[in-house]
Amino acid sequence: MTQLTFPISRIEGHAQVVIEVEDGKVLSSHFEATEMRGFSHFVKGTPAEQMPVITPRICGVCSTAHHVASVKALEDIFGVEPPPLAKKIRELLLLGQLIQNQATSLFIFTMPDRLDVPSIFHSLETSNISVKGVCDNIARCSLRIRKAGTDIISLAGGQFIHPIKTIIGGVSSGITPEKAELMKKELNTIIPVVRILFNHYWQLSISLKDRIGTWGDDEPTFYLTSTTPTKPSFDSSRIRILSPDGVEIETFTASEFRNYLVFTENEYSYAGQTSYKGNIMRANSLARINMTETMGTPIADSYMSRLERAFGLPTHPILLFDLCRGIELIYAIERAIEILSEPLNNDITSVAYTPSDGEGYGLVEAPRGPLIHRYNVLDGKITEAEFVIPTVHNMLAIERALTVAANRYIKSGQINLELEKAVGRVVRAFDPCIACATK
Amino acid sequence: MARQLPKFAVLQLSGCAGCEVSLLNSTEWLYNFELVYMPLVISASNVPSVDVLLVSGGVQTSEDLYKLLRAVNSAKEIVAVGTCAISGGITNLGNRDDVRQMFLSEAERFHLPRMLPKCHPIDDYVEVDRYLSGCPPTPELFMQLLVPDPDYVPKRNVCQECGRKKLKDMKPDHFFYSQRGSPDPDICLINQGYPCVGTSTRAGCNALCTKPGHPCVGCRGPSDAFIDKNAQDWFDSIGKVFEKMTDVPTEEIQAILRSPQLSLFLFQFADYDHVNKKPRPKEKIV
Repeated sequence: MTQLTFPISRIEGHAQVVIEVEDGKVLSSHFEATEMRGFSHFVKGTPAEQMPVITPRICGVCSTAHHVASVKALEDIFGVEPPPLAKKIRELLLLGQLIQNQATSLFIFTMPDRLDVPSIFHSLETSNISVKGVCDNIARCSLRIRKAGTDIISLAGGQFIHPIKTIIGGVSSGITPEKAELMKKELNTIIPVVRILFNHYWQLSISLKDRIGTWGDDEPTFYLTSTTPTKPSFDSSRIRILSPDGVEIETFTASEFRNYLVFTENEYSYAGQTSYKGNIMRANSLARINMTETMGTPIADSYMSRLERAFGLPTHPILLFDLCRGIELIYAIERAIEILSEPLNNDITSVAYTPSDGEGYGLVEAPRGPLIHRYNVLDGKITEAEFVIPTVHNMLAIERALTVAANRYIKSGQINLELEKAVGRVVRAFDPCIACATK
Repeated sequence: MARQLPKFAVLQLSGCAGCEVSLLNSTEWLYNFELVYMPLVISASNVPSVDVLLVSGGVQTSEDLYKLLRAVNSAKEIVAVGTCAISGGITNLGNRDDVRQMFLSEAERFHLPRMLPKCHPIDDYVEVDRYLSGCPPTPELFMQLLVPDPDYVPKRNVCQECGRKKLKDMKPDHFFYSQRGSPDPDICLINQGYPCVGTSTRAGCNALCTKPGHPCVGCRGPSDAFIDKNAQDWFDSIGKVFEKMTDVPTEEIQAILRSPQLSLFLFQFADYDHVNKKPRPKEKIV
C-alpha cells in the first residue's frame, strides 16, 4: 500500500491530506486535522460571563462568530433579549467578519491557484490589476479589501481580532454618525476594487475549469445553513436543511440539533465530522446561495443572477463555493453600507440581566456555516461546553471530493502530478478552519 | 536593478492565527520586506534562510517542536509573536492535571503528531531575540517591529493611552464582569467596578479595549515597571491599586486576583508558575 501525504497550506490551521493507494486503486482519502486546541476541555470551571472574552481565541479568523455565539448562549441561559439597536450592531459586526473572511479566502487563499503562483505576494510583478488612487497591485488591492472588513469589526466589536463589544444583553456602545460616515466612505471606495478583482477571479475560474475539464466534485448533497431564506441574516435563529434535489426538508432550532446532526470521530484526525442523519452535507457559501431566494442588495443580486444563468440554482460543483464567496463579499459590503446609513447611537444598546444557572444554545451563521455554542452553567461556572463547528459539517463532503480528485488523477498505478494541485484546490474550496474544528 | 529586500518568514505553531490576521492588516511591510514563508498565505514546505523569523503560537505538539527547532537554524533573528508564543496565554487555562491527561491520552493517534501535555512558550526550547506581545499585537506594533519608527516613544502602560479620568470619590463596593452594564465613556473603568489591569499592562495597543468600555485583560503582558519583579510583588501591587481605588472587600479583591480564568491569569500571569525561569528582559520586548 502506498500513502500519499499532502500538507495543506493557504488554509486556516494545520491539516494534511492522506490518500491511500493499493494496486493502482484509491483505497481512501482522508482530511486530517493535525492539531488539537482543547478549548472544550479547559474552559470547564470558567466563570460563565468570561466566555465571550475566552472563546474568540479559539480562532483568530472566526473570532467574531465565536464571540457572538458565546454571548447568545449565555443570553439563552439568562433569559435576556438584546434591544433592536444591539442586534443591528451585531449584524454589522458579523458582516465585517464575512468581508474579511471571504476576501481572504478568495484573494489570498485561492487566487494563487488560479494564477498558478505560490502566493498573492508572488504576483506583484506579473499581475497588472490596479485601481487608480486606491491600490496599485493585486496583493495590495486584496489586503485593502480585507482590511475594510477588519475595520468594521473594530468599529462594531471594539478589538479588531478578538472583539469585546458584544455583551450579554446587547452591545457595550453605539456607533457615532462621524465614524459610520468614514466607514461608509471606505466601503464605497472598495466596491469597484472588489468588482474588478472578482470579475478577474471569475474569468480565471472559468479558464481553470476549461483547463482541468471539471469543477471538482459536481454531485449533489444535502446543504445546511442558518441564514434566512431572503436577504440572508447571519445573526441566526434557525437551521435549515436542503435535500439533494433542492427541497427544504428540515428546519430546527440550535437546541434541537442532535435530532438531525450526527457527530462521529476518527482515529486519523483531531477533528470529528457531522452528517445529516448519516448523509454527506455541505455548509458554507454554496449552501447559503443554494438556500436563499435573493441576496437583497443590487450588485450582489446581479452576480447571483449571473451564477444562476451559468449554472442554474441550486448548483453543486465544489469550485462554485469560491464564486459564491465573491457574491457574499459584495453583499456584505452593500448591506454594511445600508446599516451604516441608519442611526446607530440613538437608542439603548443593552438591557440588564441577572445571571442564572442552566443550559443554553447560541447560534450564528459563521462564514463557514452554522456555529453553535452550548454551555451548561452551575454556580455561575461552566460545567460543560460544546462547540458545534461549521468546518466539521463539511468534513465528509471534503473527503468525498478528495476521493473524486484522487480517482481522477490516479489511474492504473500512474499518479498524475496535477493531483497535488487538485488536492489543494478541493480543500480550499471548502475554506476549512482547523483551529476551530479540533476538540 | 531592484533593491534586495530583507527576507522574513512566519512560522505558525499551535494558535489561533489571529497574529497572522493582524499582520495582514498592515501593508507597509510589503514595501520593506520580502515575505518568503507563511503557510497561511504561501505554499512552501520549509523555512528558507531569512533575516527575521516570526514565530506565533505555542509548542503543543511534537510537530510544533520539530518545525521550531528546524526553522531557527535558518534565521538571523527570532521573534516570538503574540501571547501563545511568549507565555502560553489563554492555552495556559489547560495547564492543569485533567487537561494534561486529556492531551496525553491522545499520544498514540494514527500518523498524527503527538500532543504534549501542555502548550509551551517557544523560549522553553529556543533562544528568542525579541518579543512582540499582544493577543494579537496590533498591525501598528507589527510595523514597529519590522520597520521601526525612530521617533516612536512608547507610553508606560495602557492606562496612559486610555485617557479615562480616574475619580477619587467614585468607589465601587463590588467588582463585576465586563459583560454587565454600559460604562460611562469618560471615567476610569476601575471607578465603575470593572477589574481593569491597564495600570500594569504594557502600552502600545493604544488602549483599544478600554476606550470602547471593556476592561484591559492584560494581553500585552507586564509593563517595564513590573516585568523584572517577581510574581508576588507584582501581584501585590495590582491588589493595592484595587484597594486604593475601590471599596471592594479585600477578600473579594484577592478572589478576583487569584481566579485562574480572570483577566490577570489569562495573559499577564499566564506562565507565572515558571518559577525557574528568568523574567524576559525588557530590552527585548516590543
